[in-house]
Amino acid sequence: MLEIKNLHAAIGNKEILKGIDLTIPSGEVHAIMGPNGSGKSTLSYVLAGRAGYDVTQGSVIFNGKDLLALNTEERAATGVFLAMQYPVEIPGVTNMMFLKSALNAIRKSRGESELDAMQMLKVLRGKAKEIGLSEEMLKRAVNVGFSGGEKKRNEILQMAVLEPLLCLLDETDSGLDIDALKIVADGVNALRSPARSMIVITHYQRLLDYIKPDRVHVLAFGKIRKSGGAELAHELEAKGYADFTEAA
Amino acid sequence: MSVANFINRSHQDKEGWKYTDLEALLKTAPASIAMNNNIADTGDHPRFVFVNGVFQSKQSRFGAVPSCILMGDLATGYNLVLGEHTCLVTQPIEFVFTADENAPNEINIKLTIEVGANGRLTLLENHLASPTITVLETEIILHASAKFVHGKIIHSGGTHLARSTAQVARGGYYNNFTLIRGTHLTRNEIDVVLQGEEAQAALNGTMLLRGTEHADTTTRITHAAPHCASRQIYKTVLDGKSRGVFQGKIIVAKDAQKTDGYQLSRALLLSDQAEMDAKPELEIYADDVKCSHGSTIGDLDEQAIFYLRSRGLNEAQARALLIEAFVAEMLEEIQIEAWRDIFRAEIERWAQ
Repeated sequence: MLEIKNLHAAIGNKEILKGIDLTIPSGEVHAIMGPNGSGKSTLSYVLAGRAGYDVTQGSVIFNGKDLLALNTEERAATGVFLAMQYPVEIPGVTNMMFLKSALNAIRKSRGESELDAMQMLKVLRGKAKEIGLSEEMLKRAVNVGFSGGEKKRNEILQMAVLEPLLCLLDETDSGLDIDALKIVADGVNALRSPARSMIVITHYQRLLDYIKPDRVHVLAFGKIRKSGGAELAHELEAKGYADFTEAA
Repeated sequence: MSVANFINRSHQDKEGWKYTDLEALLKTAPASIAMNNNIADTGDHPRFVFVNGVFQSKQSRFGAVPSCILMGDLATGYNLVLGEHTCLVTQPIEFVFTADENAPNEINIKLTIEVGANGRLTLLENHLASPTITVLETEIILHASAKFVHGKIIHSGGTHLARSTAQVARGGYYNNFTLIRGTHLTRNEIDVVLQGEEAQAALNGTMLLRGTEHADTTTRITHAAPHCASRQIYKTVLDGKSRGVFQGKIIVAKDAQKTDGYQLSRALLLSDQAEMDAKPELEIYADDVKCSHGSTIGDLDEQAIFYLRSRGLNEAQARALLIEAFVAEMLEEIQIEAWRDIFRAEIERWAQ
């Protein structure tokens, strides 16, 4: 259960989030839609704990914990996962090595034993197969030379391996053709569970045809302007975001 | 060679020593260093141990290498001479250099390594603790189609002044990989002359520096004959107030047409106070050659650090992984699997 109350955040002197109120019960998938520059990515970065964003007011409580008091890796350990819009390329680090380090770091912080190389290989092979990534891609450097679709699938693979409790999907649909979109959506849907909450951030309604949200929120000019059921996404697709102005 | 020789050379060649003030650095050498004399080994490869520059027959293991091929003594230098079609040395040989409390202020070692036509030699120099100054002169002679893979790890704590010269005859191949970490001062000079057609050289290395450490890799490759190839990749990671120097010169003689020369120096600065000086130089007198060089100096990618931390790694783990990754590209150049593991372990130990 995630509770965001009156969240304000700024980059330098520029206020981007101007009082976000949002509650996401466990097991629900909420979509956040909005025009470019509305603060969608900022919200995901603030929740994941990226440096450079100053929270000036408000609170974020996740499963009873004050999320804002935790650093980035502590948030990951409590189950926060951000699937990035632009996954970073890391030359020289293989996907296998990356996933192994991440999973063991998270297991360790949960007080679980670290997996040895053989156990790890078994887990990673199984999950990669589910997401439709070849074993060869586990051996390649993280995201280096990956197509747009492969990068997004790699994010979903990490999500499947790390088994987070709060998934933030930041424009996971951007740059994907319809086939890649379906594969990514299937991966996300497979991870839906009563213990896991998801925030799906998107500009377009298209993704929500494949990932059915429980709730849809419109974020514009740093605030949630409207909330509704899945039908709100269709309404936005038809009318656009023109109704949402700074004054509204 | 002696320390005095090196000082003289630094006076005579001010340009070549511009970034390494030898006399000043010798004065700041620490009075004592932690002695890491762990010469435990696991393999069964031939292993020659030198203490304070003196060969120790009892601590050495000759394996498949007959003792007669290592000749000489401290006064005249050690000669490792392998004849034509040297098939007997199939395993890599290791030279371990270490010191004890009786170490003189200056340890002078001269090695001559000669590989006969079509011969093969693989040698790893492992420079363990030496609290004083090691001066190492290595003369390498490779006859036609001889192949010599030469690894070197310098983690001695003290000062290491080394000059290697290699003459490579027609079709010969010289491969050098040097890892420098944990020394007060290292000057590692490698001077290769590709004398015969189709001779090749590959010089690679990594310098891992922190504190006030200073390491200088200075290479010179002379393409004296046509159709020769040389390739150099050096990676340097600097933390604290350390200083790294890479000077690489490629000389292509007038007759050395169809030369293929490549050189790359990349440095990663982890601290604002660290300094890297890179000076690539090309001197080309032939007109039909392919030569390129590149040099980059950068810092760790903050986006990549955030990415790793958002997946649960703490900041120290994230940085260590990225440092290892920066150097890892280098490891691909090492042809011997077992050595790659040794070098990787050294890098991991440094980064953590």
